[in-house]
Amino acid sequence: MKLEIGGSETIPASVDALWVALNDPAVLTRCIPGCRSMTEMAPDAYKVEMQLRVAAVGGSFEGEISLHDKEAPKVCGIKVSGAGSLGHGNGTARFEIEPDGEGSKLIYKGTGEIGGLVAGVGQRILSSVSKHLIGRFFTALRKEFEQPVHGAAE
Amino acid sequence: MSPEPAALKFVSSNRRVREDRRFVAGHGRYVADIVLDGMLHVALVPSQHPAAKILAIDTSAALKMPGVVHVLTGDDLVKAVDPLMNGLDTPKVRRFPLAVGQVRYAGEWVVAVVAETRAQAEDAAEKVRVTYEPLPYVIDGEEAATDASPKVHPEHGTNVLLDKTFVWGDVEKHFAESPRHLSFRVVWGRNSTVPIETFGVVARWDAWREMLDVWASIQMPKYPDQIARALRIPANNVRVHQDVDVGGSYGVKRGIKQTVLVSHLSRILNRPVRLIEDRLENMRAGDAHGPERTFDVEIAFNDEGIVKSMKMKALDNVGAYAGRSPFQLGKPVGAIVGPYKIESVQYRAMAVLSNKAAQEAVRGFGQSPTNYAIEAAIDKVAAAVGVDRIEIRRRNFIRSHEFPYLIPSGTHYDSGDYHTVVSKVLASADYEVLVKERDALRASGVMAGIGVAACLEPSGGNSSFEPLLNEKNTTSTWMDSCRINIDGLGFVTVTIHTTSAGQGHETLAATVVGEVLEIDPDLIRIVRPDSLACLPSNSPVGSRMAIMLGGACYHAAEKLKAKLKRIGAHQFGLSADDVVYAQGGVSDPGSNKTLSWAELVNIGHRQFHALPAGMEPGLETTHVMQVPTGTKLPENGRVQMYPCHSFEFHLVLLTFDPEIAKPEIRKYVIGHDCGVVINPHIVKGMTLGGIAHGIGAALLEEFSYDSEGQLLTQSFMDYLLPSSHEVPNVEIVHHCTPSPFTVFGQKGSGESGYLGSPAAISGAINDAVSPLGISFSRLPIRIAAISDAIAAVKNKQAEDYA
Repeated sequence: MKLEIGGSETIPASVDALWVALNDPAVLTRCIPGCRSMTEMAPDAYKVEMQLRVAAVGGSFEGEISLHDKEAPKVCGIKVSGAGSLGHGNGTARFEIEPDGEGSKLIYKGTGEIGGLVAGVGQRILSSVSKHLIGRFFTALRKEFEQPVHGAAE
Repeated sequence: MSPEPAALKFVSSNRRVREDRRFVAGHGRYVADIVLDGMLHVALVPSQHPAAKILAIDTSAALKMPGVVHVLTGDDLVKAVDPLMNGLDTPKVRRFPLAVGQVRYAGEWVVAVVAETRAQAEDAAEKVRVTYEPLPYVIDGEEAATDASPKVHPEHGTNVLLDKTFVWGDVEKHFAESPRHLSFRVVWGRNSTVPIETFGVVARWDAWREMLDVWASIQMPKYPDQIARALRIPANNVRVHQDVDVGGSYGVKRGIKQTVLVSHLSRILNRPVRLIEDRLENMRAGDAHGPERTFDVEIAFNDEGIVKSMKMKALDNVGAYAGRSPFQLGKPVGAIVGPYKIESVQYRAMAVLSNKAAQEAVRGFGQSPTNYAIEAAIDKVAAAVGVDRIEIRRRNFIRSHEFPYLIPSGTHYDSGDYHTVVSKVLASADYEVLVKERDALRASGVMAGIGVAACLEPSGGNSSFEPLLNEKNTTSTWMDSCRINIDGLGFVTVTIHTTSAGQGHETLAATVVGEVLEIDPDLIRIVRPDSLACLPSNSPVGSRMAIMLGGACYHAAEKLKAKLKRIGAHQFGLSADDVVYAQGGVSDPGSNKTLSWAELVNIGHRQFHALPAGMEPGLETTHVMQVPTGTKLPENGRVQMYPCHSFEFHLVLLTFDPEIAKPEIRKYVIGHDCGVVINPHIVKGMTLGGIAHGIGAALLEEFSYDSEGQLLTQSFMDYLLPSSHEVPNVEIVHHCTPSPFTVFGQKGSGESGYLGSPAAISGAINDAVSPLGISFSRLPIRIAAISDAIAAVKNKQAEDYA
C-alpha cells in the first residue's frame, strides 16, 4: 500500500545545529522509534536495524538509508528501503530547514510503499501509526536540544 | 435396497451424540495433544511479495540462533520430494511445500526453520534473509484469464487451468423459442471455513522400521497415498493415525503440503517434527481459501416465469496452485438446475490461476456459490414477470411424482417433495403475517426485506467430477467401509476408517449397527485403526457419511446377523430362512427354543464342531460399500454425480437502518428434508452451523486482497466471522422424503444450511433495497456497501430534486 507523509515541525535549535544533528547517526539512533542501530556504510549511506510493533504483529526490519541532493544546511533528500519479518518497504522523502524565530522549522514531505505482513495486518491503522512514529521522532529530537534544567526545584 | 418397513428403534431417535461428552468436558485429543519425545517445531518464512524471483537465501544468521536445528529451503526440498498432486491434467503447474525459485503469492512459505521450540523457530525465522526480484503479478481472475496477463506458472503457458463448456440439451433452440430472456452477473467473494483449530501435523520417521507415523488434523481423501507419492516411499511405509480429533474442517483440513514438509524434515533429521500453523500462517498460506467465483448467467423463460433454459459461465479464481480445488466447478454439475425443471443448460467452467493463496475444498464443494447464482436468476425472473418469488419457485419446481428425475446433465435426483416443504415453512412462519410485518417496518422508515432460497444438497458423492473434468482420470468409485467384530465375551467393536471433524461418526456407526443387530448402541465400541489397518475409505467429504459409512455399517451388520442366524439355525437343524433373529438371539418359531447372544457367541468363538460346514470361526464381518447409483464413467459430458439430493427452503426477514445498514435477521425459518434422519441432534447442529457459515459468506467473510497483491484480511480483526450477535434463532421445519437409494432412506446433511442461506440473505437485502431501485450482486454484502449504495441513491435524489 502507498503511504504519504508530510508536515512541518518547530525545533528549538539553530538551523546549523539541527543540520548537524540530522546528519549524526548517534542522534538519529536515539530519535528513530524502534531503531536498534545505525551503521555508516559509506558517506551518507547507513544500515539500520529496527524493531517495531504495528497492530497485532511485531518484528524486525533491516534497511538502508541514504542521503542525497544535500544543500547544507538547508535541504536534504532521503531514500529508505528495507525488509524484514514485518514486510518490506521503500520510500523517498525530502526535508528543508528554515529559521523560525529563535529556532528552526523543518518541513518534510515523502511517499512510501509498504508490502508484506504489515500492510495486511495493519492497513487500516498504518497511516495513523506512521503519524504516531513521526511524532515520537520529533518529540525525541526536540529533547536533544532541550537544556538540562539545573536546580529547578530551588 | 429400500427403506426399512419395520419401525426403527435407534435410528431417528432422540439419542445423545456420544462424542459430545468428551468435547464439552475438554477431553478431546487433538493434534496439539500429541507430544512425542524429542519433537522439533517448525516456523515458516513467508513471502512478502505476490510474485518474485528468489535470488538468494541467507540462512547463516538463523542457523546461529539458539535451539535451531535446521533451516530448509525450497531448493533443498525439491531434490527429495515429488510435486504435490494436481486434480486436473496440468503437470506443469508444479506445487511443492516451499516456494522453489519463485514465489507466487504474498504469504507463500519460502523457508522452514526447525528448532527445539516453536518460539525459537519463530525468532530464527526472522533472521533468514531472502533477496527477491519482484515480478509482475495478477490478482483479478478475469484479468488473469487474458493472454496479456503475467503468467503465474510460465511453464504452463497460460493462467487458465480449466476451460470446459458443456451443452446439455437443445439450449440454442430453447433460447430462440423463449419469449423472454435476461442476463446478469453475480460474484461470490473468496471466503472459506475458518476453524478455530488451524491445521496441525506431527510426523515421525523411524529409519529402523522404515515407517513414517503421522498424526494430523486432517480431512483429506487418499491422504496416506499422497504422502507416500510425494516422498517417493512405499505407501505401506506411511501410517496415519486416525484417532485424532479434528477441531473443525468442513473441507479445508487438507494439509498435504504441511504434511510432506514435516515428514521430509523428520526423515532428514531423524526426529519427530511438528507444525501447527499460527493464525497468520493459516490465513495467508494454509492454502485453505474457498471458491471465488464470477457467474455470468443468461436465462430463457416465458411470460408465466417458467424457466426453459440457462447458460452459465462460472470463472473461479483458484489462486496460485491447482490441487483439487478446480473440481469445485464440477460438483455443481450434479445439481446444475437446482430444484427446477430447467430443460437445457450450457455450462462453461473456468478455473484460473492468480497470485493469491491456493484454494481448497469448502463445505458444499462449490455448490453454495452455484446455488446463489441459480437463486439470483429465479428472483430476477420473478421480478421480470411480476410474480411472487415463492410462486415462481413453485411453478418451476420438479413435482413430487416425477422422481427419480433426470436432469439435463445426467444425474437422476432420487426423491423430493419441494412443494410440501415450502408449504410447511410458509405455514410455520405465517407468511402472510411476515409480509405485513415487513411492510409495517418499511412504513416506519426501516429497510426491511424478505428473502427466500430453495436448493439442493447433493450427497454421497462418487467423485464423478474427477473423470468429468479430467479425461485421464477414470475414478468410478469413492467407497467407504466398515468392519464389525464380536469378541469372545460378546462385546461388539466397529471400526471406521477415517478421522472425523465433529460430524459424529461414532454415533452414526453405533446407531446403525445397534439398529441392525438390535443391541444397545451405547454398548458398541467404535475404533479408528491407523491407515495401514484400514479398509478402503475416502474420508468424510461430499456430505457422504450417513449414506456411505451408514450404508457400510448396515451391510456389515446384516452380514453378521446372517452369520448368527446360520449358526443358530444349524443348532436347530433348520435353514437360516426358517429362524427368527430378535434382540441378539436366534429362535426357532416352531419349537419356541431360543439361543441367546451369549450362546451364539460361545459357539462362534469356541465350538468349531458346532458350526455349519465351511463356516469360518469367529464373528467378524466387513463391508466395502460402493456409492449407490455409481456405475459408470461420464459419457458425452453426462454422468450420475451424487446419489442423494436433500432439499432445503430458507425464509428470512431482515431489517437495517438506512444509514448504519447493519443487517439484523428478525426471522429465519428453514425447511429441511434430508430423508430419514439417523441422529436428529447431529442434523440440527449441521443445519444451524451451516446457516451461521452462510451468514458469514453473505455478509462478513472475505479473503480480500489489495491491488498490490497483499492479503488484507489475515486475522479475525479483519476477516469477520459471524458471532452470537449476528446469528439469529433459527426455526427448523422438518420433512422426510426417504431416498430410494439408501439403506434407511437417509440422505446427506453435512452441508445443510450453508447451501442456501447466502442466497436467501442476499435476496432479503435486495428485497429491502428494491424500493430504491438498487440491488447487490456481489457477496459478501458488507455494511459499508449497503450504506454507501443507499447514500448514493439519496444524494442523487437530492441532486435531481435541486
